Amino acid sequence: MLLAVVQPWPEGNQPTDAALMERILQRDSSALEALYDRYGRPVYSLALRIAQHPSSAEEIVQDVFLQLWRSADRFQISRGPLEPWLFTMARNRALDFLRLKREKQRRREDSDSDILPSAVVRPDPEGDIDRSRRAEKIRALLASLPEAQRRAIELAFFEGLSHSEIAAATGEALGTIKSWIRGGLLRLRESLEEDGS
Amino acid sequence: MKCEQLAALYEEYALGVLEGEERAELEAHLASANDPCVAGVARARWVVSQLALAAPDAQPPAALRGKIMDAIKANGDTARAVVPLEKPKPAKPVAMFPLWAWVAAAALALVTGYTIRQMNNQNDQLAQLRKQMKLATMQNQALQNQLDMDRTVAMVMMSPDSIPVKLMPKVKGMPMVHAYLHPQMGVAITADQMPSVASGRTLQLWFVPKTGKPMSVAIFRPDAMGQIALVAPVHMPANEIAALAVTDEPAGGSPQPTTPIAWMAQMN
Repeated sequence: MLLAVVQPWPEGNQPTDAALMERILQRDSSALEALYDRYGRPVYSLALRIAQHPSSAEEIVQDVFLQLWRSADRFQISRGPLEPWLFTMARNRALDFLRLKREKQRRREDSDSDILPSAVVRPDPEGDIDRSRRAEKIRALLASLPEAQRRAIELAFFEGLSHSEIAAATGEALGTIKSWIRGGLLRLRESLEEDGS
Repeated sequence: MKCEQLAALYEEYALGVLEGEERAELEAHLASANDPCVAGVARARWVVSQLALAAPDAQPPAALRGKIMDAIKANGDTARAVVPLEKPKPAKPVAMFPLWAWVAAAALALVTGYTIRQMNNQNDQLAQLRKQMKLATMQNQALQNQLDMDRTVAMVMMSPDSIPVKLMPKVKGMPMVHAYLHPQMGVAITADQMPSVASGRTLQLWFVPKTGKPMSVAIFRPDAMGQIALVAPVHMPANEIAALAVTDEPAGGSPQPTTPIAWMAQMN
């Protein structure tokens, strides 16, 4: 019977991302399902925020997880955790989608739109706080920034604009935009380091 | 530029906003696997990736999970779908080609090889030209960035709404640091004849509120001429600031001051 082969994860004993990636390398599709259950929602939320359309966001999420399946051999847990790797891949895909949509040739012609994200180092993998708490903290931090500064950071992250493109889009001086983004990112770094998250 | 000087740019690089000379400088460091910038940028990628969590929470459609699983199973690329392949039968011996066919094939290979070589040479030249153009564009962009920053500093300095503040050095013989607080445009910081900052260190400007801990405003280093000119955003109304202070901190800045104040100004 089919039910006989279903093995739910024991409560409180979830397999690690690294273990699931190992199983994906052995072409175990249930490991991909487990990773989808873990990260599908934040990846979809990010894709929807950037693409602004549910069917496009679905396409992007599907693309990201298929890429994860196909390129599992290129992910090395020693080079960093899976979560930021997935977020970076989803952001790249979604921004590529945006650029295509806007029919704009962008400066990233020689960059990583078709390759996997580079190494990511997390300062303290042991000191994890749960994702929803981290999300609250990051949203609160962005909300605490002056409106124009927050807008500049959002244009950079969610719309993939460069310093000069943001300056052009907002009518602010380039130097001001640089200072805003640098200051905002410094506060983000400090905030994440405070928690050792 | 040294890694310590580039440390402040890691997050901007990871975010993808960095352009021009700064981007080129950092990428030159990243090309070397053992360069400390490689680890710094990897860490910055994690910080920047966390901005993904600022996206409004949304539930993916229930059918999406099934679509993804169907897609990988459709490729027949799962453990369960693996079917042992039949061992290929040995191929039948191929009939010999006549001599004229071998000669024709060799001539064709020679012509093809020559053509490919010519194309490669042209591609190399084209790549070289593109590289030169890219470098010129980056240099132009760097100059433009500097000009824009100088203009912004001048705008803040000359605005009637700006409050000028002189930060006095704690060590005799050191130059004064000037700050101009503008409620919307931010705080402009200027100084001349500044001493060079030690490798791995940076100067950091703080707003000291009337109550509470100092707040980091900007990190900066004097340029090769000992000059400082920058504008940083202001997160605190001027009437809540008790003092402005500058300290010497590790590259990348500190959450709170870790060394004695080097320059300071009390606000009235």
